[in-house]
Amino acid sequence: MTVDTIRNNRQKSFSQLLLAPGVFWMLLFLVAPIVMIIYVSFWTQTTFSINSTLTLASWKNFFSSEAYVGALWTTLRLWLIVLSLTFIIGYPAALFVGLLVKSKTLATVLLVLCVIPFWTSFLIRVLAWRPMLGKEGAINIILQKLGLINTPIEALLFSELSVVIGMTQIYVVFMVGPIAFMLGRIDRNIIEAARDLGAGFGRIFWKIIFPLSLPGVVVGAIFVSVMVLGEFATSGALSGRKVNLLGNIIVTQVGSLKWAMASVVGVILTFLLAVVVAGFLRIVDLKSEL
Amino acid sequence: MESKVLKPVLAVYVAAFILFLYGPFFVLAILSFQQGPEGGPQFPIIEWSTYWYRHLFGFTPPSRIAPLPVGEALVRSLTLAFMTMVTATVLGVMAAQAFRRRFKGKGLVFYLIVLGMMVPGVLTGLGTSLLANNVIGIERHWWSTAFVAHVVYTFPFAFLVMLAILNRFDNSVEEASWALGVSPVRTFRKVTFPLIFPGVLSAMLFAFTLSFDEFPRTLFASGRDQTLPLAIYGTFSVEIHPNIFAFGVMTTLFSFALLSVYGILMALSVRRAKKTAMQEDIV
Repeated sequence: MTVDTIRNNRQKSFSQLLLAPGVFWMLLFLVAPIVMIIYVSFWTQTTFSINSTLTLASWKNFFSSEAYVGALWTTLRLWLIVLSLTFIIGYPAALFVGLLVKSKTLATVLLVLCVIPFWTSFLIRVLAWRPMLGKEGAINIILQKLGLINTPIEALLFSELSVVIGMTQIYVVFMVGPIAFMLGRIDRNIIEAARDLGAGFGRIFWKIIFPLSLPGVVVGAIFVSVMVLGEFATSGALSGRKVNLLGNIIVTQVGSLKWAMASVVGVILTFLLAVVVAGFLRIVDLKSEL
Repeated sequence: MESKVLKPVLAVYVAAFILFLYGPFFVLAILSFQQGPEGGPQFPIIEWSTYWYRHLFGFTPPSRIAPLPVGEALVRSLTLAFMTMVTATVLGVMAAQAFRRRFKGKGLVFYLIVLGMMVPGVLTGLGTSLLANNVIGIERHWWSTAFVAHVVYTFPFAFLVMLAILNRFDNSVEEASWALGVSPVRTFRKVTFPLIFPGVLSAMLFAFTLSFDEFPRTLFASGRDQTLPLAIYGTFSVEIHPNIFAFGVMTTLFSFALLSVYGILMALSVRRAKKTAMQEDIV
């Protein structure tokens, strides 16, 4: 018995030893930086330097500036639009891949097809929308050839629309993956039984399929939300600086060494993310699902 | 029956969906063969040529369009991705190994690690540079601050991959090895590691590709010397030319080469495992 306890204790301390480097890394380089953002948001900013005298000046600055508060609303609006679009566009695709395709090989091939674009640089994928949406871009040329429009649509590029299109295309796969995964796990016998009992497809969908896929929707929504709320490259590249998100403000503020203001925006972003993620986690208890 | 109608409709929809995912890239690939140096990054194609590919490698006579500053940036990105890959995978394997036992605060540690992939890059980047710039007062470099931030991002992926592999791990083979008096370190090297090797390979692939393409964290946390994504970002603000499209095609081909290497290594390790299993059957 004593030998067993000694061995157990030794294994215990050994596993703590295994865990320590990872935990320290995360505490030092993830938790400490986030705490720093909160702390620095109360520092005093002068034109050329920053010092650690605590003040609310940057916070007052943020909420009294129309441009900054406007960026907050733009971020929220774009997040809601992109989130809805990724769900609306992604769900039917996930339904087909995860549930309707009978052959496992075809389902895998389709999923791999969705993932392949991720091996192209993120920035290049964003940039690829420019020749697509521009005034002399592919979409305008095709529409003109088809005779649907006479003059090219200029609002396609360097507008909020182009940012929405770009973000939807880049992030929709993060919605499709988790939903298709949950749909694939549904026991086909349940659907069969419901059908035998005379339920139509609509009823089967709303009563069985959709509720069982909800954890996938929540995971997808969390992925998309985290990425869209923290975005700045897509809006920078496709809106021609017309669309300013919170992320864009952080970038420009850091660029002009206004660390305190960048930190204020960072804290607001962190708060938004926490609220959104916590909200989604209330819909489904993910722990019991996995 | 509705599903008789639904299935073909959705099949067409999925085809359109995949076109939506690939469309921009096709356009980009086509335009990379634009005539140069006068041809711009838009339609129509004046004349098909490989000018921009030659321009990328510096085989064209000097023109008003400067070559992309990718040479050194590529080396930096590869080095950084390699450093990140090794560190993140080692940390991931160690942490996942520890997670096979129960311990106090397991849930908390799990969330702490996963937080690294959930916090947007803007925030980790900003926080890391604040810490380096205003508190510690050190200069930021791609191999120091950016490296640290890259590991924060990729370590959770490696950890989750390893966790999934170790969940399906048969503990009795390790116990048998211990019972025979083999030391834990030797057991890990000779028994555990070969069994989890496919998982380690996947964790490495994840860490490498994520780090290689990482942009927001690098933008804040690296100093003057640019990595590849930063070099690409730099061309955004100025006028764009088809050479960046040619470059996009090249990086995609490179990714596929990397993916093929991974596939071959994976197939080899599976075959070797099968072979050993067969030999054991014969004995």
